[in-house]
Amino acid sequence: MRYATSRSIEVLPTPVQGVVNTIIDWIPLGIVVLVWELVSGGIVATDVLPAPATVGAEIVELFVSGEVFSHLFISLFRVGVGLGLSILVGVLLGVGMARSDPVENFFDIFLSMTYPIPKTALVPLAILWLGVGTKTAILIVFLACLLPIVLNAYNAAENVDQNLVWAAQMMGTDERSILYKIVFPATIPEIMTGVRQAVPIAFIALVSAELIASNAGMGYLILTSGQIGNYPTMFANIVIISAVAFVAVRAFEEARGRLLVWT
Amino acid sequence: MDGRVTISGLEKVYGQGAERTKAIEDLNFEVDGGEFVSVVGPSGCGKSTLLYLIAGFLDATEGTISVDGDPINGPGTDRGVVFQDYALFPWRTVYENVTYGLEEDGVPKDERQNIAQKYIDMVDLDGFEDKYPKELSGGMKQRVGIARTLAYEPKILLMDEPFGALDQPLRESLQDQLLDIWSDLGKTALFITHDVEEAVYLSERVLIMTRHPGTKKTVAEIDLDRSGSREEIVTSDDFAHFKNDVWKSLHEETQTEVTL
Repeated sequence: MRYATSRSIEVLPTPVQGVVNTIIDWIPLGIVVLVWELVSGGIVATDVLPAPATVGAEIVELFVSGEVFSHLFISLFRVGVGLGLSILVGVLLGVGMARSDPVENFFDIFLSMTYPIPKTALVPLAILWLGVGTKTAILIVFLACLLPIVLNAYNAAENVDQNLVWAAQMMGTDERSILYKIVFPATIPEIMTGVRQAVPIAFIALVSAELIASNAGMGYLILTSGQIGNYPTMFANIVIISAVAFVAVRAFEEARGRLLVWT
Repeated sequence: MDGRVTISGLEKVYGQGAERTKAIEDLNFEVDGGEFVSVVGPSGCGKSTLLYLIAGFLDATEGTISVDGDPINGPGTDRGVVFQDYALFPWRTVYENVTYGLEEDGVPKDERQNIAQKYIDMVDLDGFEDKYPKELSGGMKQRVGIARTLAYEPKILLMDEPFGALDQPLRESLQDQLLDIWSDLGKTALFITHDVEEAVYLSERVLIMTRHPGTKKTVAEIDLDRSGSREEIVTSDDFAHFKNDVWKSLHEETQTEVTL
C-alpha cells in the first residue's frame, strides 16, 4: 500500500498489489541473505560464518527436536514479566510525576542519574543481589524498558489539554477522579508510543542479561553454542530470537491500531 | 427566573512582582436569569478570563461572583461552558461525550439514554452517536460540545467564542440553532465574541469592555424585533443602528490601542 500511490503497480488488481508490495517489503532481507551466502565460504570461512542454508537447516532441526522451546518460553516469560512490570510502574510514575510535585521532586533526581547508565552494565550487580537466572533477567529488562515508558507518560500527562480537565470539572468530576477519568485516557496514545519503543529494548536487555547471567533462555543458548564453536546453532538461535522480537513488534503495532480507533 | 449571575468588585491579577498584570479591574455587572448577554472587547481585554472566573476554573483576586445570590466556589454543575476549541473527550464517542455529565451525576442508564438522545436530536446529530470526535467536522464537534453541556442541564451557559473557528454560513446556522435552543430551554446565556454582528444578532444586551485592564465600558441594550427571519432582522435599520453603536464604542477602545 505504501508504494501504491507512486508506482505503476496501481494498474494491477488490489490483491495482486498486496502480494507485490509484500515481495517489495522483503527484498532488503533477501539482499542481506544473498550477500551472506556470497561472503560465507568466500571472504569468511564457513566454519565461523555458516551459510544461510546451513543455519536454516539448523533452525528447522531446533524446532523439530523441540530443544528450543523450553529456552524460548523462559525468554518470553522474562520479557513479558519485565516489560509488564515496567509498563505498570512506568505509567504510575510518569503520570504521578507529571501531576504531583512531591512525586516529581522525589523521583526526578533518581531518573536523571540512572538515565545515562546502560542498563546491561548493571548485570554483574544484579547477579550479586538476585543470583544467576530469571530474577536478574527480569530486573534488567524492567530497568531498560522503564525510562522510555516513564518519559512518554510524563510528557503526555504534563501536556494534557487543560480544557479537557476543566470540562470534566464543570460536569462534576472531582480532583482525584480527574486522574483516571481524564489524564490517564488522554495519555494512552503516548504511553503506547513508549511501549512501542520499549519492546525491542526489552529483547536487547534480555539477551544481554542471559549472555552473562543465566542457565537457560535464548541468550544462554547463543552463548553456550558459541563457546563450543557450534556456530550454525549460535546463528540459528540469533535468527530465532530476532524473528520473535520482530513478530512481537508487529503484533504490538496491530494491537495498538485496534485499541486506539479514536486517535 | 433562576440563573442570575451577579459580579461585584471583580479583579483578577496574573503573576507576581514584575510579571504582575491586571487582567480585570473593578468589574460590576449582573446578568438576569434567562437573559442572553454577549461580551465584546478588544483582544486582551480579559473577556475569556471573565468567563473562566464565572465558570470557577480560575479564582478571583478580589470581589465575588454569585449565582442566584450564592457566591461561587469553583466549578459547579449549575454552570456549563462551551469551549472555543470544543474540548471534547477524544476517546469517547459522540454519545459517550454527551452522557459524561449524566454519568457523573449518577443518572441511571435508561434515563441517560433518553436525555442524551433528546439533546443529540436537538443539535441535529442523530445518526452520529457512535462516531469519535476526530471523525467530525468543526461545526459538528461544536454541536456535540453544546449537546454535552446542555445534557446535564446547567442553568447558565457560558460560551467562549464557540463559533470563532467556523466559516460564515456555518456560524450563522449555528447561531440560529443556538437561539432556538436558548428560547426553548430558558437558560441564562453569556456569550463571548469579537464579532459585533454576532453579538448584536444574538443578544438582549451587549457588555462592551475596556482595553487592558478589562472592565465595563458600557452596556448596549439591543431592543430588536426578532419575530422575522434572519434576513429581515440583519437588513433592518434597527439592526444597523445597534451594530453601529456597539462598533463605535468598541472602536474607541481599539483606537486607544493604536495610539498607544
